[in-house]
Amino acid sequence: MNHKDIPAVNPNTPVILEMNHINKSFGAVTALVDVSIKLRQGEVLALVGDNGAGKSTLIKILSGFHHPDSGTIIYQGKEVHFGSPRDARAHGIETVYQDLALIDDLSVYHNMFLGREYHKRILGLKLLDNAKMRDLAQTYLNTLGIEIPSVNSTVDLLSGGQRQSIAVARSIYSSPTILVLDEPLAALGVREGAHVLGLIQNLRRQRGVSIILIVHNYNQVFEVCDRINFLHSGEIVLDASTSETSEEELIRIVKSGLGRQAIAAAAAEIGTVTKPDI
Amino acid sequence: MARTSQTTRATAHKVGLKVPETALERVLVILSRYREASIAVVAVVLVVYFQLGSSGAFLSPQELSVVLRDTGRFGLIAVAEVMLMITGEIDLSVGSTFSLAPYVMVLMSIGWGVPLAVSALAGLLLGVLIGVVNGIITVRFRVPSLITTVGTFFLLQGVVVSIYNSQPIVAPVQEPFNEIFGENLLSPADSIWSWHGLTAFTPFLWTVLVVAAMALVLNRTTFGLHTIATGSNIVGAQEIGVRTDRIKVYNFMIAGAFAAAAGVINTTQFASADPLAGGPFLTLQAIAAAVIGGTSLLGGSGTPVGALLGAFVVATLNNGLVMMGAQATVSDIYLGAAIVLAMILNVAVDRMRARRHV
Repeated sequence: MNHKDIPAVNPNTPVILEMNHINKSFGAVTALVDVSIKLRQGEVLALVGDNGAGKSTLIKILSGFHHPDSGTIIYQGKEVHFGSPRDARAHGIETVYQDLALIDDLSVYHNMFLGREYHKRILGLKLLDNAKMRDLAQTYLNTLGIEIPSVNSTVDLLSGGQRQSIAVARSIYSSPTILVLDEPLAALGVREGAHVLGLIQNLRRQRGVSIILIVHNYNQVFEVCDRINFLHSGEIVLDASTSETSEEELIRIVKSGLGRQAIAAAAAEIGTVTKPDI
Repeated sequence: MARTSQTTRATAHKVGLKVPETALERVLVILSRYREASIAVVAVVLVVYFQLGSSGAFLSPQELSVVLRDTGRFGLIAVAEVMLMITGEIDLSVGSTFSLAPYVMVLMSIGWGVPLAVSALAGLLLGVLIGVVNGIITVRFRVPSLITTVGTFFLLQGVVVSIYNSQPIVAPVQEPFNEIFGENLLSPADSIWSWHGLTAFTPFLWTVLVVAAMALVLNRTTFGLHTIATGSNIVGAQEIGVRTDRIKVYNFMIAGAFAAAAGVINTTQFASADPLAGGPFLTLQAIAAAVIGGTSLLGGSGTPVGALLGAFVVATLNNGLVMMGAQATVSDIYLGAAIVLAMILNVAVDRMRARRHV
């Protein structure tokens, strides 16, 4: 909860998204308690924390899949309410979910364009323009350097890495303003993981896309992220830029479940001679 | 990405997609790609069998007009079940809608003097309304559709038999309504090349038209794409923004409308609205047709053309065996066996796909 305003990309970079005082419960289970996050233009924000910390719930609120019990979302200076994933997408917020949200029984190109299909009119009927979607998908995947056997094959025939690449490719196809990735590297091998990380870095550098990344591997956090928000039991316990913290500190927080100041206070109380790390 | 380097390329069949080797595997690959192919083969085999067994009587226009009339009836309902089953739902109330819609149609025409075409439209709307109720109960109250529609099946069956104490009523069928929907039998005196030779097959031709339309809807429209997405991965579809609840309700509406249409056509054919025309047996025969046609009960895949072929197989079994002198009850043994075999085959093909064997 020690929400410090830490300069990220640059102190003058405008804030593109604020989620303020978000609370969310599912029946008896409290998932988020007064969580606030801030995202700047072109920033890569890492959302880290243990399983069940509330990371996925938070991003599902941002993507319009869940609705917060209380709290506000300020996007590009205006308060917004996302009634559905469609709403959030229309505002330029794309999300890659942990389950990838791929439809096994549909082809790669139908998955790429699901929810934003291209049509053509034949005898007045609004039919899918499959040829166009197939070509666009093929070209786009080639541009990104994603190799799959065929855009015609159903996605259940692809490997875990291929599926993940398709899900990422789909989400960046529409040039989103904000891209949210829930463990984009979870199922990837080393080479594929590096590839997706490269995609993410390019998005930020070349197109100024702001990115929220849920990651478990702290190496990757320090590789691509500008800032880290640590969620523990539904609360933000650390908000620091990657240059101000370290893997060791993250691990300490995971183990204790306490924030930086709380750890320092506890350490002081016990009287141990712990050097506060920076 | 399983990219094969030069060294591993020689043994590429060990990773990635397996190339079918044995004849059985190749057959299963074809079956998993073209679900209709297997049932088309079964249909042809049955026709040949009955043609030989009846010394050439089966493929006469007279007998075919009967088989195709039944195919039309089962097929129209089966294709609606296919759409619903793709979304992962099912409608068991179609057998009652089939009886109720035309009963209401005839009552309106007789009681209030409404033209038959108008009251038929009212019957269809009633079917759509039944679909809305089934759909809303299923998606809003989260009752499994299997239960929802068992409930509405009995409810509607109860309504239709209670109106006139199960009495059939004569339908005031006039031309051209009769020609367009009602004629269905070719008497030996009629020529197949006459106008009547065409109208005798109208119930079947209507169903062929509907099946073609639904195949187009399923494979070439956004609605069809979202229907598959809903049944294949409902959470994923919702995350992408597919309105899965709406898609399900629309498909329930289609099922209700088609069941009502089949009922109206049936009533026109017999010039009588029978409260017991549908019933549970019709529902199950339509579902059997869908399943034999290669539609998965698990959602996500199904084919309207397969449903029509399945309906043809069901109708052929019913009529062919009777024609060969078997008791009507015996045909159920064959039908039952056909359903079980079709399911075993479907599940086997699904499993092969899931394990990526083919």
